[in-house]
Amino acid sequence: MTAPTDGPEPVQVRSFDALVNDLEALGGKRSDFKGMISVSVPKGSIIEALRQARAAGLEMLTDIHGMDYLTYPGHRGKRFTVIYNVHDVAGRRRLFLRVDLDEGESLPTATGLWSGASFLERETFDMLGVVFDGHPDLRKILTPEDLEGHPHRKDFPLGETPTLFNDGRFLDPASFRAGLSGRDAGLTGWKGGARDGVVATQKPSNAAVASVERERSGS
Amino acid sequence: MSPRTTVEGPVTERPFNEQLGDFETKHMRINVGPQHPSTHGVLRLVVDLDGERIVSLRPHVGYLHTGFEKTMENRTYQQGVTYSNRMDYVNGFAHDLAYVLGVEKLVEARVPERAQRVRVILTELNRIASHLVFFGTTLLDMGALTPFFYTMRERETLQDIFESVSGVRMNYGYYRIGGLYRDVPEDFEQQVRAFLDTFARYIDQYKTLFMENDILLARTRGVAVLSREQALDYGLTGPSARASGVALDYRKAQPYSGYEDYDFHVPVYTEGDIWARMSVRMDEMVESAYIARQALDRLEPGPVIDPDRRISLPPRSELENSMEAVIFHFKLVTEGFHPPRGEVYVPTESARGELGYYIVSDGGSMPYRVKVRAPSLANLQSLEPSSLGGLFADMVINIASFDPVLGDVDK
Amino acid sequence: MSLKDLFERDVQELEAEGILFSSLQNLVKWGRSNSMWPVTFGLACCAIEMMAATNARNDMARFGSEVFRASPRQADVMIVAGRLSKKMAPVMRRVYEQMPDPKWVISMGACASSGGMFNNYAIVQNVDSVVPVDIFVPGCPPRPESLIYAVQQLQKKVRGEAFDETGTLLPMVEGWNRS
Repeated sequence: MTAPTDGPEPVQVRSFDALVNDLEALGGKRSDFKGMISVSVPKGSIIEALRQARAAGLEMLTDIHGMDYLTYPGHRGKRFTVIYNVHDVAGRRRLFLRVDLDEGESLPTATGLWSGASFLERETFDMLGVVFDGHPDLRKILTPEDLEGHPHRKDFPLGETPTLFNDGRFLDPASFRAGLSGRDAGLTGWKGGARDGVVATQKPSNAAVASVERERSGS
Repeated sequence: MSPRTTVEGPVTERPFNEQLGDFETKHMRINVGPQHPSTHGVLRLVVDLDGERIVSLRPHVGYLHTGFEKTMENRTYQQGVTYSNRMDYVNGFAHDLAYVLGVEKLVEARVPERAQRVRVILTELNRIASHLVFFGTTLLDMGALTPFFYTMRERETLQDIFESVSGVRMNYGYYRIGGLYRDVPEDFEQQVRAFLDTFARYIDQYKTLFMENDILLARTRGVAVLSREQALDYGLTGPSARASGVALDYRKAQPYSGYEDYDFHVPVYTEGDIWARMSVRMDEMVESAYIARQALDRLEPGPVIDPDRRISLPPRSELENSMEAVIFHFKLVTEGFHPPRGEVYVPTESARGELGYYIVSDGGSMPYRVKVRAPSLANLQSLEPSSLGGLFADMVINIASFDPVLGDVDK
Repeated sequence: MSLKDLFERDVQELEAEGILFSSLQNLVKWGRSNSMWPVTFGLACCAIEMMAATNARNDMARFGSEVFRASPRQADVMIVAGRLSKKMAPVMRRVYEQMPDPKWVISMGACASSGGMFNNYAIVQNVDSVVPVDIFVPGCPPRPESLIYAVQQLQKKVRGEAFDETGTLLPMVEGWNRS
């Protein structure tokens, strides 16, 4: 039984900054937020960036996930971002490598570097539709085979069903929450929670709510 | 889709074997699950066998996919606590803690000392409970029925403690952004001490009952070995990785919630076999009990939630006197709070591995994206390399030894 | 003794000798309700509480559920414990169809009964749309005592002692006419 060893700290710090410099030479842009270091690299150099990160001691690939910035207020840029989360075995140095993609663009697979990227890339493909070229077995992993579409995309609906009570009332959960997002007026018409860059629509966009309104108006 | 459709391709021919000569044989394809007593949930495996030896193994997951992440995008941050513990339902407090730490980092909440210590106590007790389920079910897979009842006995005591604190035995909603829902009851310290005092004796009981059992040693020593290189290659984290020599524990590497104050060892074994994975968890239970005892000794009276009214509800007594409290309460309950824009990730150590919530905020009251880095999905990839070439019966315990929880895998 | 002698003797005397009289229906009720063996269909968190219902503190075996059979061919009742995802639904239907009659279904927990807190694209909103449910158990997760109570209510239903919401007595489940 041993405690985890402390790595030689000064060497690690130097090589980490050197790594980020090398990545920036590949075309990466560094950004820091609350101690998290992210480097956004262009699509063509992601594998080289991962290889350099691995050579610099960030030996563990923890996560690959994607983000859909379609409805992010104020976002100017490509729609998708795939984020690779790599860190060292000591767990102290962590780097987020980001790649921005448009709809239809594909990324080279990281399974050549880490076999553990296999399920993670499949999950990103399943949830967002990002294709990874060269992946040995790219197919859906979490959603059922007959589900078409990619659930974590912002244009994929949540799929809520209204709740039907025994006495005939039905409640539509989405319209309760509508005010929270600031976009929709919902049942009450309150549009609280609006934030910068979000344009609130005027009428409820929900067919179920519209039918309730029709009932109320006595048609 | 019917489980009959195969994506694995045709069953392979067996290569020419000198012993068997010109027999033309095929590998046998077996489907294990998703409904199966020993897949620890709804895990489906398609296994190609050469006699009893495994030639290829492909896990199919997704039978418990719940759409947590998408649902959490449509709930406020406080409501997210209800969802986080249902992913890994055996170790609910770890998920709650990871989520709450992530949001607190985003909001820059200051969690009081008492809340941090209580969180540490409850999370470590939950880790013990999770490992108890691990032992119970792994030994059940090996055919031993008795240890299940023994470990569940301890788990019931722990669940009594959790129930007295949060009101539920499982799927707690006790942690809040900024601290805890409410203070612990008066007999909390006495209950936890009573449990910790008797727990050492029970650990000895387990060691005598099964850890030194000849059958268990024969079935687990040297079986399903995963080397350190393989563990790093496949992204394995947690006790299973520590059994293969990867000395990484986020409680030591990036301490959160006050873990840097406690003195504890992290057990690391190098054998990488099933026995090592079990021993790591047994030692971890002892260490968790020690951490919980230290945190309990240092528990001082004080507030249990960040007094910042923009993120935490005011106490009910204040609602009678102060109008501002009523307004804060109203805003928080109907709308929730608005963290600043940004993306955060806080890695924590759950009983299964590295757990972190990557929370993206766009300034609204609901998160823009919550990505759960759940340990079990990545850990499941190590199933194939460690089982190949082994026996089918060993694969069954091997699944158990990686301790997957399918709610964690499928989210 | 011959059948003629049997009918001429007193019932109580015969009982003392170990010969009991009952109707077939009563025997079937007694046998079926006191040996309901569930099939292992634990899906999510409720499965852990179902396991807790079988542990030493809340012993479900004393009510007849002595052993959880892994093979549906040997089971009577399917306790759907946990959230049913749409990918798992055909599998569940297949397991249900493999169970021999008479069979019953207990829908344990909020997620199985109504989708619970997951009202989205991935979860079946009521397990009743896939298999016919006899008892719904609320809770998230239901306590082991709740599950044991549900099993007891199912036993009452099997014996023909159950009432529906209007107060009429439900007939004893025949089992061989179920659709």
